[in-house]
Order: sequence, then structure tokens, then C-alpha cells
Amino acid sequence: MSNIAKGVPFWRKEQFTPFILLSPAILTLMFVVLLPLLFSLYTSFTGYRLIRPESLYDWVGFRNYERIFSNKNFWIAFGRTILFLTIALNVEFILGLGIALLINRITWGQRTLRTFMMFPMMFSPILVGYQFKFIFNDNIGILNNALQALGLSDGAIPWLVDKYLAMFSILFAEIWMSTSVFAILLLAGLFAMPRDPLEAAKVDGCNAWQVFRHITLPFIMPFAFIAMTIRSLDVARAYDIVDVMTGGGPAGRTELLWTLIARVGYDNSRMGQANAMAYVSILLSILFTYYFFTKLLAARKYMGGAE
Amino acid sequence: MAEIALHNVVKNYGKLEVVHGINLNIEHNEFVVLVGPSGCGKSTTLRMIAGLEEISDGTISIGSEIVNELPPRKRNISMVFQNYALYPHMSVRDNLGFGLKIAKQAPDVIEERVREAADVLGLGDLMDRTPAELSGGQRQRVAMGRAIVRNPQAFLFDEPLSNLDAKLRVQMRTEIKKLHQKVKTTVVYVTHDQVEAMTLADRIVVMKDGYIEQVGSPMEVFNHPVNTFVASFIGSPPMNLIPGAIDGDNIRFSDGAHISVPTRLKDKVRNGQEIIFGFRPDDLTPVGHGINESGQQAPMKLVITLAELLGTETILYTQIAGQEILGKMFDPRDIHPGEELNMNLSLDKAHLFDGATGKSVRLD
Amino acid sequence: MNSALKKRIGNVLSWVMTFLLMLVICVPGLWVVLTAFRPNSEVLAKPAVWIPQNFNLNNFAKIFGFGAEQVAIPVPAYFTNSLIIALTSTAIALLIGMSGGYAFARYRFRFKNGLFLGLMLSRTVPGIALSLPVFMIWSRIGLIDAKLGLIIVYVALNVPFTVWLIDGFFRQIPKEMSEAAQVDGCTRWEAFWKIEFPLAKSGIASAGIFAFLTSWNEYALASQLTRSTDSKTLPVGLMDFTAQFTIDWAGMSAMAVIIIIPALVLTFLVQKHLIAGLTFGGVKG
Repeated sequence: MSNIAKGVPFWRKEQFTPFILLSPAILTLMFVVLLPLLFSLYTSFTGYRLIRPESLYDWVGFRNYERIFSNKNFWIAFGRTILFLTIALNVEFILGLGIALLINRITWGQRTLRTFMMFPMMFSPILVGYQFKFIFNDNIGILNNALQALGLSDGAIPWLVDKYLAMFSILFAEIWMSTSVFAILLLAGLFAMPRDPLEAAKVDGCNAWQVFRHITLPFIMPFAFIAMTIRSLDVARAYDIVDVMTGGGPAGRTELLWTLIARVGYDNSRMGQANAMAYVSILLSILFTYYFFTKLLAARKYMGGAE
Repeated sequence: MAEIALHNVVKNYGKLEVVHGINLNIEHNEFVVLVGPSGCGKSTTLRMIAGLEEISDGTISIGSEIVNELPPRKRNISMVFQNYALYPHMSVRDNLGFGLKIAKQAPDVIEERVREAADVLGLGDLMDRTPAELSGGQRQRVAMGRAIVRNPQAFLFDEPLSNLDAKLRVQMRTEIKKLHQKVKTTVVYVTHDQVEAMTLADRIVVMKDGYIEQVGSPMEVFNHPVNTFVASFIGSPPMNLIPGAIDGDNIRFSDGAHISVPTRLKDKVRNGQEIIFGFRPDDLTPVGHGINESGQQAPMKLVITLAELLGTETILYTQIAGQEILGKMFDPRDIHPGEELNMNLSLDKAHLFDGATGKSVRLD
Repeated sequence: MNSALKKRIGNVLSWVMTFLLMLVICVPGLWVVLTAFRPNSEVLAKPAVWIPQNFNLNNFAKIFGFGAEQVAIPVPAYFTNSLIIALTSTAIALLIGMSGGYAFARYRFRFKNGLFLGLMLSRTVPGIALSLPVFMIWSRIGLIDAKLGLIIVYVALNVPFTVWLIDGFFRQIPKEMSEAAQVDGCTRWEAFWKIEFPLAKSGIASAGIFAFLTSWNEYALASQLTRSTDSKTLPVGLMDFTAQFTIDWAGMSAMAVIIIIPALVLTFLVQKHLIAGLTFGGVKG
């Protein structure tokens, strides 16, 4: 029917171009992500142990999943991970919003402040972990030294050993590292905010809080969801922090799902079981991302910016 | 300099057909305007001529050559885009010379041709600026300069004035007309603004829903619209259209009111035929305030609901057969809402369209 | 209270808050930097030494193997590995990202939204979860403890994000630019390199910087896929320090500074475009 199709090889045709352009990306991800994930899905149904290669063909059905779901330590790590994410993301959002509003107020040196804000974002998580391992060290850490010098504490506070304090320290490091994602994006949202609705609301008699609540906040929510989506892509970076700060210890008190996977898979070389856990963590990540992504799409709609 | 011919040209996106086999011959140095509401396929047609959209079926030729499979660069055309598409990282000079540079012309040739184009459009002082430093009108001129510098076979304009404010639009409209008179070339110009179409075109092509409705000179299209769509689309304010039926020598409207069938169209209609009666506001005027006061007239008394003063004329809002109707008053005096006026409807200029098809009965 | 006074108090308050904020952001890093220039004995001293007494480059000399004192950690090798791996994977990810981002920005095609979502979802897989199967496969095809093995993984890690960012930057350039160039006599390929690429260049560069930092900073996968000086990267090397009997805080800090420096430099370069890219891609769809 199409007379232009004659004599033109299929790969030169317009409708194939995007697929050709995308093929390197698709192939890379198939080879490095999809294929390995299929392999690990298979492995999660075997009793594969690194030290016994032949066990790769040892099909055990759902036994790995039954094991981990009946394992108390798994559920504790799982619950701790959810709690960790909930606290971290909420605190990061609230702090980020506060910081964005603060910097938005300031007119002098705003650009410099914004640049400084971005530093933690660029830090390697392993560095953030190291930095706070150093600071929270009970013996030579600057925090305990300072507290003792100021006379606020006479003993060495075991920041990284005590069950609650260690979790707090890790959360602190995580929040220190990631709050800027929220702050930067929310600030971008505030900058993009049109003046008219603000002025209209003031004319309509809204006070400062009402303006914020009904005009500013709804407008910047899509930006918050972008930040949430970006964050949910790399929440598992917390693994690096925990690994360097406490290694999941002491005695599993700061074990998150991701450190548990590493321990079961590499240290105990139970690959089958570790892969089963890994699938739980993947589902968790996808769920988080999907949730925020749909929120983002919904928020975009009433903002009217999208096609 | 070349003619452009479209033969049964079809465009579809997957299953969706947006241009349905159109035929059009554009002559040497002719200024043709494609006009229609948005989504009528006019831009798609232009982009197929440019080679920016594949042609799904049919043929397009420029000069004597079928260009269906030629990429844009081999068609020897130039195009002015709606938002100008000036290259933001290049100066005005480089923007103008870009096409020649790509064609590997010698630097002194480029220099000379760029200067000529700049002279024609009065861009001399702006040559070292970047597009960001230009006003809307200046950008428009650079875009046109970029089009003429290569001395192409045809210019294509895609709604070039729609981003300008009203005053500048009128000014640039004149400049485009002058440019065409200076640089004789075939022009295909797309717009949704019928005023632009009327003022610029040698021939107007009215499009709707992927079909060509009518092709003709501005006067033809204005005076002899082939159907109700063209009648209502061309002309501002639009033509009044009232549905009715032929009843002997009269047209009877839904509320029982009637009016004589224009004598020149009498043998084109049959008794009982459902028709749409159309006339332009210019032809419904208060007695003594019209321009066509001789010939067959239909006198009537009408109550004015609203009067819009334009200075040399006043637009009158009234009602016929329960429908809002616009008339005009030339050489106006003050009119008060609610005032009843003796008015004349010039039937010599009135139109009749078939009620079912919307086609002008004149064509039967 | 009059409003001028209220405003003044508000201003003072916001300055105080900003100051505290900057303190929290900067002090941890600065403390590490300070430590990098002090001898370990001073770090370990009790009571704490607040004002550095010995300020020198010994730690850097030491970890790079110049000083009298030697460390067991071959930092120069790690540094070279990190650089090679991060640069190579960034270059490849950028090429793939440009190609893919252009496809998303300029073409309409079937499964477009599905593909985009799939691309993004591939990025959600936690590094440690991905490391398990990659470890198993890589060890079968001999890519464990090889720079190439890590490069391939980092390319895949960076592709979704570079595609997203670059898609956003190309979208900001009107399609008409390329069309005008094609009418002006360019092939689509020429139009891309002469018009669209120069306009998106700074955006693409910042996507590249972002990809570089991701590779430079990555730990979870590198810690499992590398074994020796052949392929170990700086973050993995940093962890080596903690495995030693007494932690060499000063040496570690010096190494931390080496890891931080590129991040700091690049942050200055990247900031504007990165924000633009992220918000544009997200909000304008």
C-alpha cells in the first residue's frame, strides 16, 4: 500500500528507527539486569550453595521462601527496613521542605547555599558511612569528645553499639545524605511557582499558612513525588552505610533486609535462600517506586503541565 | 521556481487517516494558502510537501520530479516554522548562512547571498546577535531571510504569524506579501486565520477533516462558497445560516416566518426541499445604511438586541426565526438596544445550501 | 508588634537556621578533611586534640606509597581502577543514553510508555540483590575481579538515568530545529550533530557527570564483584582499612578526601543542569 516502502530496507524505515536507537539500552539491560534476575529467580527455587556447585540443579520448590517466611530474623530485618524507610523518607521530606522554604526566603547568597546543599547528594554512601562511623565512634569520635569537653556526658556513649542509638546513628547518616534530594527539588518547585495564584489567594483573604497549605503545597507536591521516585530508586544505597558503620551488627541489631541478603548469600554462601530474600527486596523497591510514580502522574494531571 | 502537484495524497498514522487523498496543483510563482480549523490536515499536508512527514499514498511532485522518496534536503524548498526554529547557538549571520554552508558554497558566495537577504529584510544591524536577543518581529524576519537566502524552488510557511501580537501580525502580513512580490517564488502558506488567507493568497485552499472543501481565489471563496462550512469559515463576522424549507416561492423558517426565494436561484431548488439560507452580515442593513440597496430586497422590521461599534460600521445583533443573526450598519448612527429598525436583506447576495448535504444549490 | 520588626526577626531567625543547617552539612566533611592532614596518633589521643598540631601531607604520601611509612592498601592501584572503570562506563552509558533518550524524545512508537517504565524499573533493583545473580554468572564467564565486569554492570546501572535525563534535554529543544536543518540541506544525522547535539551538550555533559559519580561512588556491587588490585575500586578499598587490626583513621580520611574531591569539583559543574533535567523530565513528561 505504501509506495515509499518499496526499495527501502526495513531498518531505514521511520517506524523502526526508535527501536534501533533503543536497542543498545534494551540489550544492555537485558544482559545485565533481566537475564541475571531470571537466573536468580530460578536459583531461589534451588538449594544452591556457592561451595557446592552441583547444588544449582537441586530443585527445592518453594522451600527457600517457606524458610525465610518462617524465619524470625528475616521478619525482624524486613520490619526494620520498612520502619527505616518510613522514618527516613518522612523526615527527609519534612526537613527538605523546611530547608527549601528557608533558602527560598533568603535572597543573598542563595546560589551558594544551593550548591552547598548538593554536596551530600554527591557523596559516596560509603563515605557518608565512614564519616559518621568516625564521628559517632565511642572512643575517638568528635561527638563524644565534644559532649565530654562540654561536660554534657562523662562516659563514652556507645552510639554504634547500643541497639537504639546505632539505628539512630544510621538513620542520621542516611538522612544527612539524602535530605538534599528533597530540598533541591522542592526548591526548584518553589522557583517554578507562578506568582499570580499566590497574589490571588492573598487578595481572597488567605493568611500565610492558608496560602502555603492550599496554594504552595499542592503546587510543589509533584516535585516532592519526583524526589520520592528518585529516592525510591536508590533506597538500597543504605546498605553501603550500614555495611561500613555497623556491618549489620552488633549481633544483628541494625540488620536491614539488604545486609541480611549479603550475609546469607556471601558469608553463609546460601545463594538459593539469599536470592529468595533478594526477590522480596526487589518487590519492595518496585512497590515503592511504583507507588510514588503513580502519585507523581496523578499530581501532574491537575497541575496541567503534562501533555 | 516550480509548480507543485499533489495527486491523491493520503496520510495515515497507523489506522488513523488524517489526509484523505487530496489533489492540488500549485502553479509557478503562485501564492497558495491552506486554511482550515486546527486538525484539518493543512499542516500535515505542508509537512508532506516539505518531506518532514512520509506520504502514505499518492504522489507529490515539485517541478517535474516526483519527490515522494526524497528527504527534505533534496527537495530544494525552504520553510518558515511557526516558532521560527532559529538555531539558538548561532548568530543571525550564521543562521542565514547555515543552508549555504551545508551546501558547501564558497565563503564569499555565502557572504554575498547572506548580505543580499539581509538587505531585502532590513536585518543589516542585527547580524551578530543571537536569536535570544531579537524581538518577535525580528526573529520572524530572520526566519524568512533563512528561507530566501537559498533561492529555493518553493517557500513553505507553517502558521508563521501565530506567535506575534495582533499589531505586528498585520505588519508582517504586509511584509510577506511584499516579499513575495519582490522574490517571485511559489509559496505554500498554512494558517488557521481566514483574514491572513484572504489578504495574502492568490488562491485559497479551504480544508476540513483531511479533505479539501474548496479551492479558489479569495473573491471566489468569499462570494461563492461551495458549502456551509466554507461559508461560515471564510468572512468575519461569519455568514448567517438559518435552516428552513422551500414552500413555493418562499423559504419558510421553523417559526413560520418566510422570505422570498432569491430569483437567481429559483430553478435550483424544488418545492419542499430542506435548505439552509445564508447571507453575510453586510447584506442585512438598516434602510439607507447599506451598500447593496438595489436589486432584489427582502424588507423586514427587526429588534436590535446589541450593537457593537466599530467606527466606520456598526455590527447589529438581532433575531430571525429564533436564531441570533448579525447585520451591519454602514455610516452608522447611535443605536439603542431594543430599538426596532426597518432593514433590508439583499437577496441577490444570499446563498442557499442543501439542508441535508450542506452543498450550495448553485452547483446542482 | 509592627510588621517591620516582625520581618526583621523573621530574617534573623532564617539566618540563624541557615547557619545551623550549613554547620550540619559541612562539619562532618570538614572534620574528615582535617583528619586527613593529621597524624593518626593525634586522632587517637586522649584527651582529644581539638586544634591540629601537626599539619602535613604525610597521610597522602603514605597511602600513595611515597612516605617512609607504608600501608598495606594499594591506593594508587585502586585509584587507577576507579578512574578507568568510571570513565569507560560513563562514556558507554552516555552513548547508549543519547541514542535511547533521543528515541524517547523524538519518536512516537508502540510500547513507548511500557519501555520507559521497564527501563526505570530496572534501576530499582537493589544493588545487593542484583549482585547475587551477576556474581554467579560473572564467575562462570570469568568476569569476576575484572574491570570489564564492573564496567558492564555500571553501564547498565547508568543507562536508565542517562536515558531519562537526556530525553528531558532533547525535549527542551523544539523538534522544528532539526526539521529546519533538514530543510536547510542536512541529513537527519547531520541535523543531530550540528543542531540538536550542540544545544543539548551541557545537559548531556551533566548526565555524564552524574553517571561518573554513580560509578565512582558505587559500593554494593563492587564489593562483591572485585577481589584484588586488578579491579578493586576506591570505595571497596576504603572498607579494607576497617578490616585492619587498628583502624588507621588518618589514612582512611586521606583516602576519603581523594574520593570526595571529584565529587566536589563535579558538583559545581553539574548542579544547574541536573536540577533542570530532573524536574523537566519529571514534570513536563
